[in-house]
Amino acid sequence: MTAPTVAFTDERLANGLRLIVSEDHLAPVVAVNIWYNVGSRHEVPGKTGFAHLFEHVMFQGSRHVAKTEHMALVQAAGGTMNGTTSLDRTTYFETMPSHQLELALWLEADRMATLLDALNQDNLDNQRDVVKNEKRSSYDNRPYGDWFHKLQEHLFPPEHPYHHPTIGSMADLDAASLEDVAAFFRTYYTPNNAVLSIVGDVDPAQARGWVKHYFGAIPANPAISPLADMSLPSGMGAESREVVQDRVPLPRHFFGFRAPRLGDPRFDALEVAAQILAGGKGSRLYRRLVRDEKIAQDVAFFLVGLVGGASIAAGQATVRPGVDLALVEHAYEEELERLGREPVTDDELARAHSLMETYELEALQRVDERADRLSTYAALLDDPDLINRQLGRYLAVGKAEIQAAAAEALRPENRVVLTYMPAAEAGTDTTSGTTDEETAA
Amino acid sequence: MTLEEILAERPSQGQPRAYRFPAFQRTVLASGLQVLAVHVPGRPLVSANLVFRRGAGDEPRDVAGATVLAARAMTEGTERYPGVELIEAAERLGATLHAEATWDAFMAAVEVAASRLEAALELLAELVERPTFPEPDVARLRDERLNDLMQVKADPRRRVEQAFAAAIYASDSPYSRPAGGDEESVARLSPAVLRTIHGSILEPHLAALIVGGDLAGLSVPELAEHVLGSLGAATRSAATTPPPSAASALTRPIVRLYHRPGSVQTELRIGHVGLARRVPDFHAVGVMAAILGGLFNSRLQMNLREEKGYTYGVGAGFDMRRAAGPFAVRTAVQTASTVPAILETLSELRRIRETAVTETELAAARDFLVGVFPLRFETPGAVVGALGGLFVHELPDDELARYRDAIEAVTIADVQAAARDHIDLDRMAIVAVGDADAVGGELESAGLGELEVIVEETPVGAPDESDEGSE
Repeated sequence: MTAPTVAFTDERLANGLRLIVSEDHLAPVVAVNIWYNVGSRHEVPGKTGFAHLFEHVMFQGSRHVAKTEHMALVQAAGGTMNGTTSLDRTTYFETMPSHQLELALWLEADRMATLLDALNQDNLDNQRDVVKNEKRSSYDNRPYGDWFHKLQEHLFPPEHPYHHPTIGSMADLDAASLEDVAAFFRTYYTPNNAVLSIVGDVDPAQARGWVKHYFGAIPANPAISPLADMSLPSGMGAESREVVQDRVPLPRHFFGFRAPRLGDPRFDALEVAAQILAGGKGSRLYRRLVRDEKIAQDVAFFLVGLVGGASIAAGQATVRPGVDLALVEHAYEEELERLGREPVTDDELARAHSLMETYELEALQRVDERADRLSTYAALLDDPDLINRQLGRYLAVGKAEIQAAAAEALRPENRVVLTYMPAAEAGTDTTSGTTDEETAA
Repeated sequence: MTLEEILAERPSQGQPRAYRFPAFQRTVLASGLQVLAVHVPGRPLVSANLVFRRGAGDEPRDVAGATVLAARAMTEGTERYPGVELIEAAERLGATLHAEATWDAFMAAVEVAASRLEAALELLAELVERPTFPEPDVARLRDERLNDLMQVKADPRRRVEQAFAAAIYASDSPYSRPAGGDEESVARLSPAVLRTIHGSILEPHLAALIVGGDLAGLSVPELAEHVLGSLGAATRSAATTPPPSAASALTRPIVRLYHRPGSVQTELRIGHVGLARRVPDFHAVGVMAAILGGLFNSRLQMNLREEKGYTYGVGAGFDMRRAAGPFAVRTAVQTASTVPAILETLSELRRIRETAVTETELAAARDFLVGVFPLRFETPGAVVGALGGLFVHELPDDELARYRDAIEAVTIADVQAAARDHIDLDRMAIVAVGDADAVGGELESAGLGELEVIVEETPVGAPDESDEGSE
């Protein structure tokens, strides 16, 4: 089985907007995905949470679209939409019945060109309240809720932009002013800082014509200042540990490692390693900790791909009642270290490859996923064609590559261990989250 | 044209492409097993789902959770493939093999390249027909479930769901407890219990194999006969069991507050026993629920989120099962806004009953449901899933094909009738998990119904504590 090739065109408008169009008529559906190269890594101390708060403001109207009318128009057209913000970028997307493509393009163009016309204090205050409630429900009011944020604090030094969470702090959210929002918009929400991908049941010439019509006259911002150097030593240098008291019945270890950046072949090797370690019931960690030794309630290991300095390899194991915490931690760590010491078996590698082939095929069935991947690879790696080569890269990963990548990344001196312990007294929650991404809805 | 002139003109929509829900072919094997095949050209990844019309709602009360656990335990080994060998064999095919049970159904599914469908179906049949339910693995999964029940108590979002079901359903309805069972019933689950439940489910007259994807060159009925022809041949007795009891526990409004000291939000569920899937005004209910709490700009969302900023999100809807599932408004609100948020919610529930929705609201909901329908079925997996629902609920073959026309036909009067008939302010349960010290007094004086405050200890499964609720 081979994945169908995704054919696409890739061009830049005169104002710098990067446009990618991919035609596919299997379903009467089209995906529009626009990436702005701005994420929480662009935030400065005192203004954390800003990129994400701004993403909410993008649904509060523009010159020709009233507050929340964006959603109303998309849904009345039979479409779905949302926006998400992560450490590296902010993305907005609509999936529409294909005859409604022009509407989605117009909506995106109107807010790129004229958002500030509709911005007012009431809307900002309202969305600030909504975002604060998002923070409460996604992190503060959840057991183990702040683990990812704590991991960021340990993995990245205080001056590094990955050190702070995308959701921001309550104090910084409170401090965000209309002037801040306007300046942020003028700086980053410009065509030369965006990638627009259109995938699905389209006439490419017509789609390209609409994009030129609606976006072509939006002025660029030639003065986007480049980010400060985010590079980091490849390893932490020493293990970092924290014990967290939380209102949880079962202790849970979270693990984190600095990993190579997205696009690095070693990152692909770790993706295959993650499948062998924790991809389902046939995986090493599940077999040993959950099934055979019965010391963990659940296990996980996965990668968060980033481009600034380092990615994150993360994992967890929930300790079964009555089981020694150290026993679970050591068994988990031993399995990770074993990957670096000895090669995986031929059968493990073959199973991982077969499954990853199916997962790729499954993901690329959908036009929204294809559009997101094209934008991702174009914006972060300047290589949209990776959509057609990524599977081949996974399949090219051999035993030696896995062993080398694991030996380098998954070693004790590059490790964070967070241990959540049942708090003796119920008290104020700690904060934090389950993912690296915030959404508007 | 200037940029302003360009953007000032809203685009008009193009010509919609014709859409029909993919047609399927039905074959009934000699055993009674139905085979539904749906050819979706250009989709080399095939979804196959073997569905039994018997679920957690049909099991005896004393072994509640047995159906869900049996589904989970099937992947722990079979006669030909002990232990994880079955999973490994599937992985070698690049097949994702999966089994689960819901209130209404028991199912095993696989996704695989069309070229390896036969081998994958053989594994699917092995999984369903010959699981061994080894004692150590059943015991482990049972303990994992008990541990999970303990974790639920510490998670406000999961705790409130459980508490809401217990509040609205009479105790003789299975829906009053979790589909996975509670501490008492799960503790009873043994390999023998799982074997009995599993045996009672394997009835070909209650089963359908549904296969979707690019099936060019494949004869799904022949494959099915070859691989699953002898499924459950020994039994062949039962007819469809009647739906379970969904009796309400409520005769008047009640308020239950689960005290969680220091909570920064209150998790809220407001509602009552709702509707079964085979309700005659299904489409009107769908439009009504979209206006109330389904659309992004639903009435509840515009009020509680976009005007008041009380919450990140609020939704409302009917979970339709073989018997009447719950109707619920679901949200989490900042602690200080708990009572105002409840009052606004009740006022929206009253308003949708008492005043007609506008033409604009009707059009927004109708156009969304009609327009989004093809998007929902972009992949074979989604089509197969929907056909599974058709089979489980014994709906007519054209139910999905006529969905869009039926939604188009819903009127303002239909919406109001649906709200009046199916939303009942006089037996509303308001269930909250939050800080009783902060909101209890205000909730009491709001006079929304008899207030009961429940204080629970957060269970602890730490190593130095006793193994409460497990082992």
